[in-house]
Amino acid sequence: MTDVNSTTLRRWLAVWLPFLPADALRRLARERGEAGEKPDEALLVLTHKVKGAARVAAMGPAAAAAGVTAGAALADVRARLPDIVVADHDPFADARMLERLADDCERFSPVVAIDAPDGLVLDITGCAHLFGGEARLLAELRGRFRRYGFHARMTIAGAPDAARALARFGRIAIVPVGADEAETRLLPVAALGLPDDIRIALVRAGLKTLDDLASRPSLPLSARFGEDVARRLRRMFGQGANPVTPRRIAPSCIAERRFPEPVGRIEDIEATLADLMAELSDTLMQRREGGRRFEASFFRADGIVRRIAIETGQPTRDAKAVLRLYHERLEALADPVDPGFGFDVIRFAATETEPHAPAQASLDGRVQEEGDVADLVDRLSARFGRTRVLRFVGVDTHDPDRAARLAPAVEHRGDAPWPAPEPEEPPKRPLQLFASPQPVEVTAEVPDGPPRTFRWRRVEHRVMRWEGPERIAPEWWRDPSAPTRDYFRIEDEHGRRFWLFRAGLYERETDAPRWYVHGLFP
Amino acid sequence: MTADPETLLSRRPRRKDVPLPEKPPPAYAELAASSNFSFLRGASNARDLVLTALLLGQSGIGIADRNTLAGVVRAWSALKEVREEGEPPPEKMREGGSPGEHVWIEHPLSADLSVTRENLKQRAEAFQLVVGARLVFSDGTPDILAYPEDRAGWGRLCRLLTLGNTRIPPGKIRAVKGECLLTIGDLLSDASGLLLILMPPRRLAGMALALSRIRAAAPGAVWLGAVLSRRGDDERRLAKLKVHGADAGVPLIAINDVLYHDAGQRDLQDVMSCIREGVTIETAGRLLEANAERHLKPPREMARLFRNAPDAIAETQLFLGRIDFDLGQLKYEYPDEPVPPGWTDQGYLDDRTWLHAGMRYPDGIPRKVEELLKAELDFIQSENLARYFLTLYDIVRVARNKGILCQGRGSAANSAVCYVLGITSVDPDKFDVLFARFMSTERKEPPDIDVDFEHERREEVIQYIYERYGRHRAGIAATVIHYRPRSAMREVGKAMGLTEDVTARLAGLVWGSWGGALADSQIRQAGFDPGNSEIRRAVTLAGRLLGSPRHLSQHVGGFVLARHRLDEMVPIGVAAMDERTFIEWDKDDIDALGLMKVDILALGMLTCIRKALDLVCHHGGPKLGLADVPLEDPAVYDMLCKGDSLGVFQVESRAQMNMLPRLRPREFYDLVIEVAIVRPGPIQGDMVHPYLRRRNGEKVTYPSPAPEHGPPDELHQVLRKTLGVPLFQEQAMRLAMVAAKFTGGQANGLRRAMATFRNVGTIHKFEELMVEGMTARGYDREFAARCFEQIKGFGSYGFPESHAAAFAQLVYVSSWIKLHHPAAFACALLNSQPMGFYAPAQIVRDAQEHDVEARAVDVNSSCWDNTLERRADGSLALRLGFRQIDGLGEAELQRLIDRRGVGYGGVDALAAQSRLSGRALRKLADADAFRSVGLDRREALWAVRRLPDDDPLPLFAAADAAELGHEPEMDLPAMPLPEHVAADYQTARLSLKAHPMSVLRPGFQGQRIATCAEMAAMRDGAWARTAGLVLVRQRPGNGKAIFITLEDETGIANIIMWARVFEQHRREAMGARLLLVEGRVQKSPEGVLHLMGVRLHDRSSELERMLDGSIAQGPATRADHPRNVRLMPKSRDFH
Repeated sequence: MTDVNSTTLRRWLAVWLPFLPADALRRLARERGEAGEKPDEALLVLTHKVKGAARVAAMGPAAAAAGVTAGAALADVRARLPDIVVADHDPFADARMLERLADDCERFSPVVAIDAPDGLVLDITGCAHLFGGEARLLAELRGRFRRYGFHARMTIAGAPDAARALARFGRIAIVPVGADEAETRLLPVAALGLPDDIRIALVRAGLKTLDDLASRPSLPLSARFGEDVARRLRRMFGQGANPVTPRRIAPSCIAERRFPEPVGRIEDIEATLADLMAELSDTLMQRREGGRRFEASFFRADGIVRRIAIETGQPTRDAKAVLRLYHERLEALADPVDPGFGFDVIRFAATETEPHAPAQASLDGRVQEEGDVADLVDRLSARFGRTRVLRFVGVDTHDPDRAARLAPAVEHRGDAPWPAPEPEEPPKRPLQLFASPQPVEVTAEVPDGPPRTFRWRRVEHRVMRWEGPERIAPEWWRDPSAPTRDYFRIEDEHGRRFWLFRAGLYERETDAPRWYVHGLFP
Repeated sequence: MTADPETLLSRRPRRKDVPLPEKPPPAYAELAASSNFSFLRGASNARDLVLTALLLGQSGIGIADRNTLAGVVRAWSALKEVREEGEPPPEKMREGGSPGEHVWIEHPLSADLSVTRENLKQRAEAFQLVVGARLVFSDGTPDILAYPEDRAGWGRLCRLLTLGNTRIPPGKIRAVKGECLLTIGDLLSDASGLLLILMPPRRLAGMALALSRIRAAAPGAVWLGAVLSRRGDDERRLAKLKVHGADAGVPLIAINDVLYHDAGQRDLQDVMSCIREGVTIETAGRLLEANAERHLKPPREMARLFRNAPDAIAETQLFLGRIDFDLGQLKYEYPDEPVPPGWTDQGYLDDRTWLHAGMRYPDGIPRKVEELLKAELDFIQSENLARYFLTLYDIVRVARNKGILCQGRGSAANSAVCYVLGITSVDPDKFDVLFARFMSTERKEPPDIDVDFEHERREEVIQYIYERYGRHRAGIAATVIHYRPRSAMREVGKAMGLTEDVTARLAGLVWGSWGGALADSQIRQAGFDPGNSEIRRAVTLAGRLLGSPRHLSQHVGGFVLARHRLDEMVPIGVAAMDERTFIEWDKDDIDALGLMKVDILALGMLTCIRKALDLVCHHGGPKLGLADVPLEDPAVYDMLCKGDSLGVFQVESRAQMNMLPRLRPREFYDLVIEVAIVRPGPIQGDMVHPYLRRRNGEKVTYPSPAPEHGPPDELHQVLRKTLGVPLFQEQAMRLAMVAAKFTGGQANGLRRAMATFRNVGTIHKFEELMVEGMTARGYDREFAARCFEQIKGFGSYGFPESHAAAFAQLVYVSSWIKLHHPAAFACALLNSQPMGFYAPAQIVRDAQEHDVEARAVDVNSSCWDNTLERRADGSLALRLGFRQIDGLGEAELQRLIDRRGVGYGGVDALAAQSRLSGRALRKLADADAFRSVGLDRREALWAVRRLPDDDPLPLFAAADAAELGHEPEMDLPAMPLPEHVAADYQTARLSLKAHPMSVLRPGFQGQRIATCAEMAAMRDGAWARTAGLVLVRQRPGNGKAIFITLEDETGIANIIMWARVFEQHRREAMGARLLLVEGRVQKSPEGVLHLMGVRLHDRSSELERMLDGSIAQGPATRADHPRNVRLMPKSRDFH
């Protein structure tokens, strides 16, 4: 059971983010350019709905210091602290943020595990020396989290569970090799992460620290509290199976470059990729393998990690071909990798490989294009930018001015159905609408009768046929002072059809309504 | 804003270009008006609709809500009132721009509508209100307006709606509350007596078939509605409708399908649509109406719209002419059941009365009572009320036979007749009854009696009533749930697209202070700019939504019983719970129509008293009923004078406990006052201190008018019993009539404004009337203003003398039990939980202070309920029951009790015999209930946890036993006292071992922290520090002061804090479970003691330390650490 190697040789670093939801919220707000209050001063509280009542899901450090606890009813909290700032808790955003942080941590070790919901575990075995020792590595990691605005506590230990528990319950940053057990014995039983009822039962029995448990025979404990207690205890002391599952299998074939000064120019990036690909190509050749999938990771100085992957139809290690695909990808993207302040690490890996004897292979992996409009729209949008390719979409409103809007053609959401005439009825609205209604002079019946004659662009029209009014009131929540419109469908003596409206209800809204032509019927 | 209707209605300047008088427009009546009882569709109340139609000159109006008749009585009452008073009812005035602001509604066309009072009266006489329903079908048939032609048609419509209300939707097992499922077949199976208007759907195709079918089923009683809604194709549509009508031989009738009385309500109607559809105003789009045309229009305007179909306008008058039904025709008749065959109502009542009188007074009926009975019976006969009393008698008698305690209250309940019939227990021989006042009131209204029953057994009474009268003849009254500030603000905020947080903040503002204007300063205080138009608009709309009905709910217990079918008088619906059925009308509607309502209410204290009396009887005491408790026992008053009233009905609150030593009750009527005085009315009217001063010897004077206005003693009669200070609701009302000379109508208006939330705005009109009226007659203005403040206070919690008297009886009875049978009282209180003001810990502690031994829960002694045990010295001890332990189930524990035999010898035997689940065993062990088998909490838990988790199969039981062999020594440490106490609180919310504060005392002693007892001994003005568990936080009335009650091992300390101090220490004051307070001692001459808090410290962390001993805690930043271990029960808090 005991794996001597794992206790003596392996080193684990656990990160705990006690205020992840609050910190993540602030970080995202900052990225959107919204300046918030000083992070540690605002009483930030994140809530979720439990049976219809808002309850505290998480909070910022200031709120925690003021005694806010998870699970409290928001109303209670507000009664105590009227100044709290409340936001909705979004566990998915937290999870995504944790992924981002994990991405960033991969610069320290390729083996990073998510310790949901609010922690990370890094296997730093053999990594520390790259940074000048564990203390320096820890300091650098701390600095990064601080810069991103995350409160983090971290511990390095010989077993992942010990590192996790000590980060949360202990006060030690680096556990000397072999001292895991001595350090963890002082922790409260809560450090085992057992369900609440078991934890309380242990405390009731007077067993309050891991030492209390470890110094007693384990059989009676297991009989009462389950096997899990002993199992977790063993893991804490570095015995037993390693429970950490890294979020991605470390690619066997990696090349990476660290830069003292971050790089940002596309030429530099492509040059670096070429170098790295050459390295990879050599490694693959030695293994007689080819890559089916390549992934370039760009670690930005501010913690954001961009990844660009390409896949090939056949395994390959042809550096030129791979680079050409990358080049196309980079070219096609409007803003390919967004270097920000620059990348300080670029890593290139073959993430899927297959045995590949050096043989002929067609690299012409172009996909047959389909004559689909959607495809065309996608490609045009990709090339010119999504805001350059537009189409009309219907808007659900009575207001004819707002009934259509232009939207990026690639977006398909939010289409309201176009108002359609009733079956066997004429269309009530014209196809052609003026961008802004044009004033006309009209003689008409009061208060709401149709026009008799009207003059538009210096031409006098006699109204022969008409229908209406269609009365459309303004959207009061937008512009309360806008006049109500009475629309008429008009046919003049030449059979030309107009859409005219009277702005303002006679007597109710104005004494002298004005008239406009808003559109033409075919 | 002035209140003279004439100037108001004529204030708008006349148009400059008034044309010469034209010939009057053809008469028109709108027949499709939806009131706000078409929930979230109609945006005006029925009164506004009726009144506006009247003012616009329509000849009548038809109110038809969606599948309901819930709103029609309001319309009817409004018209009745205008006919009687000649002025718009006060409800015409309603909330204006912001909550609390009130404006008269003005119609844009009211320029032409200058109406004098006489003129209005005449118009109202001629005006015809017709009521019906808009039938909305679940089978896709277009809507049909159905108006009853006569009384039979009304019955038919009611039964139709009842059928829809009680229909079970497919896939469900019962009818859904608030859902009315109707098909066209239901209507057509018998449409006799109904006039039907088919509302054409948007698409006319396919309508012809429905139309001809309806016409065939109701020949000569069908119309086709024509609505010109300004959607562009009005004329085309009208032409088509004409063809349809002509084809089917059905006349066209002009209609505007009104959703609101005035075009200005469009925005509110849009917001309602958003709320209904669950969308925001930005995304609602075509779910909203395109324009504001669905308002009431003057006949001239309607005639112009329908100039191509003048017949359709004329048809409205023919339609009105066909209707010969008015809600006034609903004649109420009392049910027959309570009177046995062969008796007349009055004969039977006389017989029963004298029979029971003889039983009540076995030594002969006292002369006083005999005379009272005669007078009351005469009055009952003259008013023909015998059956009402007999109905109550019938219900009360059945309850009594089932052993359910009950007590009546209300204007007619305090009568000698009610006493001898057992409806109430206030003995008319000993106390002045109040029935004389009821008999003397000039207003004719049915007597009002509420009967309280034991809360745990009221349902039995309710089911008896259903059983006896049948569901078609008995129904509970409805309660209209209105939009309150919080709900209105929340829903409007959502509809207007404000974020939840902003909405919550705004809702928090109005909260608790409805009626008060939401001032700019308040908006600013919430962190918003009052100039922000979005915020301002949302607040304004919420203010306008305020008071609209939201849905119907059932009244707490008001039953309407009828002689014949109730479902032919009013539609009946199903409630969400308990097999209840309720009618669509609420209390006001029932009053307006003069139906009889019997209130069957639930009262926890009655349960408690019955259980206590049972316990007394069971343990060798006498068998007592409510009326049998010895009267006027001085020892009872001595106890109350000390403020020793924990658990006593009504007077156990902090404020009451403080009032008792000051009021010093010595007789029953003092208790009546005690109950009434600590209430918002007298407190807001600043009547408490004047009354106390007079009681303590100050000269009693009566406010009087100037000599020229009336006799100086005109208020003697009104205020005699309360030393010249108005304390009861009816006194305030009498004041308005006697001192301010309110007319009957004004007094009624005031009563309504006072009683119902919806009219909260109108009360300001009366303020001026009353204060000015009294001042003008020479009363002190300040006194008048206070009287009105009091009335406003009554508005929320009115309290008439007759109710106070009934409650005082229960105060006395519960005090008597508490004094003479403290163990039984505590036991009954605990067994009736949840009720009252105090947690079990305080009840047990109070019992201990009254020399009752409390014994812990034990597997070998406890029952499910708390019980009494005989002690060696003959006194009774309180044995806590399993119900005190959180998370145990009664059925499972009953098994343990049943199989207990001579007692369980140990954990294994108990587990084997009782077959309790592992979970229950662990709960019992954790509650330290194994002491009788020699195991303390830790040992018991250790033993119990070793048992297999779930009930094993019998086959393996023996094998399991064998498996539990010898174990190595574990050497567990003994559990120290603090941990035991903490665990006691966690499992049972109380500890008999020690008070948490006594455990913590050694630590506190060094910090010069006084116990509550020590503080009580300090002199007035001394500086003190004390600490304790927080029991209650209160912020009464105006919120200027905050009260906190602390408890330690020696007693209770009452903390008062000014709002300013509270705001400084808000975190501590609201958050702490264990609070340390520094401040100055204040002692009143009566010995009432407070600590005026100046500084507060949250010491809750000490409680947590009790639990975990000296274990090093995690880092301070740890968010989910022990603070969330809920050690102490939550205090009772305000928000």
